[in-house]
Amino acid sequence: MDLSILAQLVLSGILLGAIYALAAAGLNLIFGVMRVVNVAHGDLMMLGAYTTIFLYERFDLNPLLSLFISIPLLFAFGWLIQRALVNRVVNQPHLMSLILMWGMSLVIINAGLYFFTANTRAVPYLTGAIPLGDVALSRARGVAFVAAALISLAVWLFLQRSKWGKAIRAVAQSAEMARVCGINVERVRVVTFALASALAGAAGTLLITILAINPSVGPTFLLKGFAIIVVGGLGSFSGAFIGALVIGVLESLAAFFLDTQLAEVVIFFTLILFLLVRPGGIMGVEE
Amino acid sequence: MNRAQWGWIALAVIVAALVIAPFVLPAYRTTFLLFMFMYVTLASSWNIVSGYTGYVSFGHASFFGIGAYTAALLILRAGAHWLPASLAGAALAVVFALPLGFILLRLRGPYFAISMLGLSAALEMIALSWTPLTRGGAGLNLPPHQSAIEMYFAMGLAMTAVIILSRKIITSKFGLRLVALREDEIAAESLGINTTAHKVAAFAISAFFPALVGGFYAWYLSYIDPNSVFRPILSVGMVIMTMFGGIGTVLGPIIGAVFLNVISEIFWVQLPELHQAAFGGLIVLVILVMPGGVIRLLKDRGILPANWRT
Repeated sequence: MDLSILAQLVLSGILLGAIYALAAAGLNLIFGVMRVVNVAHGDLMMLGAYTTIFLYERFDLNPLLSLFISIPLLFAFGWLIQRALVNRVVNQPHLMSLILMWGMSLVIINAGLYFFTANTRAVPYLTGAIPLGDVALSRARGVAFVAAALISLAVWLFLQRSKWGKAIRAVAQSAEMARVCGINVERVRVVTFALASALAGAAGTLLITILAINPSVGPTFLLKGFAIIVVGGLGSFSGAFIGALVIGVLESLAAFFLDTQLAEVVIFFTLILFLLVRPGGIMGVEE
Repeated sequence: MNRAQWGWIALAVIVAALVIAPFVLPAYRTTFLLFMFMYVTLASSWNIVSGYTGYVSFGHASFFGIGAYTAALLILRAGAHWLPASLAGAALAVVFALPLGFILLRLRGPYFAISMLGLSAALEMIALSWTPLTRGGAGLNLPPHQSAIEMYFAMGLAMTAVIILSRKIITSKFGLRLVALREDEIAAESLGINTTAHKVAAFAISAFFPALVGGFYAWYLSYIDPNSVFRPILSVGMVIMTMFGGIGTVLGPIIGAVFLNVISEIFWVQLPELHQAAFGGLIVLVILVMPGGVIRLLKDRGILPANWRT
């Protein structure tokens, strides 16, 4: 087999993985702070993507610029979901939040199908590629990668340096201790969910410039996001990035050697394999 | 007469009415009841793993699909009778559920729910891609047949079996251990309960019946494709019906399945494009407003005794 094809596949997998990492980092933040798996995370990505599609089709807005609309929009939506729904089940058994968010996911998917139809759509943006020796760097993927990397860096700095970021990390370590130290835990949870939702929106906006999607795509994204955080380590921010690169590359290889549909099956088996041999993930600790 | 005796009389009347029903009702109503029985079976099976042990499965349609495909292929390729073919599908689902449960149920928390969601998606993709065996998206056509009554009684018996089993489990030591591990897994383990073995056993039981009625479904409709037997709304239906009636109880899934089938029949038939949102919205409402379902409401009002476990 030609080595340059392999290099090409790995490269496009890494570029894709960086975008998945944004979404997975959001999923991980919510899990870390609240021990809740946001089952509707993939659907929030779908909403981000459709915001971009809508703005592109109606106002011919550049997809990168629509980040400035999809991010605040999803931030506000996440804020609302946390205040209205998740807040009420945070301290209840896993079962409650899982089923609640699943219900929310169904509502979002159905709303998407109702308003945007079931057609698969994409936003054509920056076609063509830049040759780098034997491999070609797709311009759209390259730009999306840079944007994803910048957003990730900004979020990382926010979590490390800002007061809110420190509060989020404190609540993730121990909600009770954080409360004793005077942190408003409820408010931190709202900010966390809103931030994670904004990250999902940003990932959706960037993905739609390189993939075509339809409103039912959410559960597939959720599965990928979940596989990423299991591979990387549940609750670990940096783990999400390592996991995302693994899943991105695997997906790109599977789509080439097997079939696009079977890529999902490969990701599922990767998830099972990790649960079996290393349930703590690459960066995590054994449970 | 005391309360229990009235209960038995009511049960006898319902059973007698359901036995006579297909002979006096028009075919359309018989079909409606038949599918209602199927949903009661699905919801009650889901309840055995998710209600009793607290491990939510988001992909129980996986077993329905395994049963449907196994039965359909045995009927088509081996000329099997529909009943042994469906039983074989159910047995295969159990064989499949044992190692799967062992892997997925060892870990606490939400791994199981999301992995089951992934499983049903993965199985659907396999059914779509394995064209030589399943004919992919074209689906499988089975020989047509006449009698809805035969299938009515098959579904009815499957439903009866799963209801009796649900009750047997929850009133047994095995059931008490399942509930103990649901309430506090570490405490249950420290009391000497082999929690993994118990969870896997409950999971395997709950895989059997959806696969069985999946086989019945394939035979009754004479046509299946990957989308119809692995469709997420089947998994969703099991969850919402059980939650609505009362999760973790024997009666809850029955009440939920009957009520939601009747409601769907009356209202949602007119709004097929909003069916999923209606289910989703109802799930959200049930969790926020009545997390114990109808059964809990009845208990709080004193209509059912508070210590009523079934």
